[in-house]
Amino acid sequence: MDKTKKSTKRLRTAKDLNRLVIDYYLECHEAKRRGTPVGWMPPMNGAIELFYAMDLQPVFPENWSPVCAAFGLTPGNFDVTDGLGYSRDLCGYLRNITGYVHGFMNDESIPLGGLPEPDILLSPGGGCVPVMKIFHILERRFPKAKVFSADLPQVAVEDIRKHHLDYAVWEMNRLIDFLTEVTGHRMDHDRLAEVVKLSDQACALWDEIMSYRRFIPTPLSAAEIGIMFVMVTRQGTQIAVDFLTAVRDEVKERAEAGIGVIDDERIRLFWDNIPLWYNMGLFNYFEKMGGVAVAETYSAAWSLRLDTEHPLEALAMKSLMSYPLVSCVSIRKRKEMVLKACREYSIDGAVLHRNKSCVPITLGQMDIKRALEEELGVPSVIIDADHMDDQNFSVAQFETRVDAFMEMLYEKKGLKL
Amino acid sequence: MPSQPAAPFYEVLKENERVTPALSGERYVGYFCTYTPIEIIHAAGFTPFRVAGGLDSVSLADTLTPNFICPYMRVATEKALRGEYGFLSGLVQGYTCDVACGLINIWKDNIGGDPCHLVPLPYNDNEASRDFLRSALKELIEKLDRAGGCFSEERLEHSLSLYDEIRRVILDLYDRRYEGSLPFSAGDFLTVIQAGYVTPPERYLGLLKTLRDEADHEREDGQPPSIPVLVSGSLVEEPRILEIIEESGGRICADDLCTGFRQWSPATGSGARPLDRVIDRHMRRFPCPSRSRARDRAPLIIDLVRRSAARGVIFLFQKFCTPHLADYPILNEELKKERIPATVFEMEETGIMEGQLRTRMETFFETLGERDG
Repeated sequence: MDKTKKSTKRLRTAKDLNRLVIDYYLECHEAKRRGTPVGWMPPMNGAIELFYAMDLQPVFPENWSPVCAAFGLTPGNFDVTDGLGYSRDLCGYLRNITGYVHGFMNDESIPLGGLPEPDILLSPGGGCVPVMKIFHILERRFPKAKVFSADLPQVAVEDIRKHHLDYAVWEMNRLIDFLTEVTGHRMDHDRLAEVVKLSDQACALWDEIMSYRRFIPTPLSAAEIGIMFVMVTRQGTQIAVDFLTAVRDEVKERAEAGIGVIDDERIRLFWDNIPLWYNMGLFNYFEKMGGVAVAETYSAAWSLRLDTEHPLEALAMKSLMSYPLVSCVSIRKRKEMVLKACREYSIDGAVLHRNKSCVPITLGQMDIKRALEEELGVPSVIIDADHMDDQNFSVAQFETRVDAFMEMLYEKKGLKL
Repeated sequence: MPSQPAAPFYEVLKENERVTPALSGERYVGYFCTYTPIEIIHAAGFTPFRVAGGLDSVSLADTLTPNFICPYMRVATEKALRGEYGFLSGLVQGYTCDVACGLINIWKDNIGGDPCHLVPLPYNDNEASRDFLRSALKELIEKLDRAGGCFSEERLEHSLSLYDEIRRVILDLYDRRYEGSLPFSAGDFLTVIQAGYVTPPERYLGLLKTLRDEADHEREDGQPPSIPVLVSGSLVEEPRILEIIEESGGRICADDLCTGFRQWSPATGSGARPLDRVIDRHMRRFPCPSRSRARDRAPLIIDLVRRSAARGVIFLFQKFCTPHLADYPILNEELKKERIPATVFEMEETGIMEGQLRTRMETFFETLGERDG
């Protein structure tokens, strides 16, 4: 197997996703051309809905990194970052985007036209340290951009109290005031209510799509998880709802017809941590032994329903919950979710990606591993890798570990190789 | 060999190793870093105890943590799993870095303690963020009280007076260090500070006052020829590291360390009520990179360089420490603009790597010597 490889996709709607990705980046550039303010922001918070409700263009530098990985731009970006003096021990997202904005950003050969320069930077206080530092670096790189220094309580989901929510709502209102002041765009609260309804519909569809993965054989594997692109970039739009409806219909049809990802599904796997964006083909590697990655931790970040009666509170709550659910901020809640998923999705084994580029998701993994074994009897294997840097990934080691793990799962299930 | 004035502090640390702190009759609550509101822990009737890592090998902690987090947290967890922190009633930590956050949760489920609590801290300073911090601190107080604490405003007033005084005395020692008249080495100074992490503040303040008086009598008129430098970085736990720097031709005249200046400045906060003063001091404290921008830290470090007449900066980082590693290129660039030379060294858990550190430092000091003629 190659060190970098694209995944094999089975859904018809996967082709629609390619179009959707292209359209999104075209829209970003078009927005810049026609003078719509472009704001760069971290993912997994309620600011995206505010931007769409105020007719502003959200751009996600973190999401650009998987695109760079898919197009093979990452090593060049890393070289630029190394040259600036940044340590190779830093998160791959940070290293990639830092190299991109200081290097090839305005190169005409960049696929999809790259990212349009920001007019606004939504610089987070909260979330993980690398994302916070990415935005500090961007503030320096784009000195003309207007900076909103955001603040968000960092609290475990199970510990959220009224004062956390009140402060998050206060920050939402402060952000609206800031955006109004620097862009002249005003918030139409009826429009915001519509956007939040669309966002909630997208979440409901997301949950429904995921629920069909309970079917045996599963109609959807982690190889198709690129569909989360719409949850990152399009939440709160009709585009996301339409796309996810199409995916839901196809997945439902396949599930009910008993059409699996592969013909002979024998082992159902859980994937923990971010995928290796430069090698999504890994998810297909399990298939040669009848293995399918049926569920994963990362998709839980979008498994949230929004209270459409209270749009601002709903977005504040989304901001408070989304990142902690998949990180070390809420290890107990995350463990509970993983165990629930493994029960509901009839998981045979878990693959834990010990991700050098993401400490917040990797921390707590060993507790999850133990809980899987002790509470469910689900074995797991650890894969040492990195979601951005293929230098921290050994294909041979991956194959050796996975082969041995799959053999063990076969034996446990009484299957013959 | 410790200098005479610093000797009692070495003794305190040795005593702490020999005698189980639990036998002292104190109830200890642990913490990792100095963004933890220790005055509140103390006012609730507990003695704050800063958990140490140190130089050690890791095996038990491998079962809970990856090997790409800072050595401090790995070794601290190793010691906890060996039972060395069994005397702690609980663990409280202000949210600083992702690792501190993750480790609080991991300790909660694997080591235990009550309370085991992470305090969310605002990044901005405005009326709403101060109100939020007040609520977060009240939540901590509730948890400490539920764990057998006895918090009251009067007790906080008393705790603040103790800790404010401790900070004033230590900042006074820093002033002498800037002048070059502190009669003990940087390694001794670190030991003086570390003794405070394991000692009830009432006793520690007494030791510090005696140290200050002795320092007055032992003021050194002439310093050996050495090059004054500022040390910036994360947590330095081994005095030996600072000793090697000084043996290599330097004199540490200032610092921006987690185990140094950052925890002391400012000595106190303002406000009518004691909780207001805790909040005000938190908001105005000398910032850690996990809570601030390199852009904002650079002028503060440059100011320290000027105040102390340092001729260069040595960055000492815990390996894998994201906040520091991410800020370093910007800080270095800002120092270059001011023509302040800098070098960097990363510390690992298994040893000081004395040879490497000494070679790097000797080269740095030679360069500084040549540069300044």
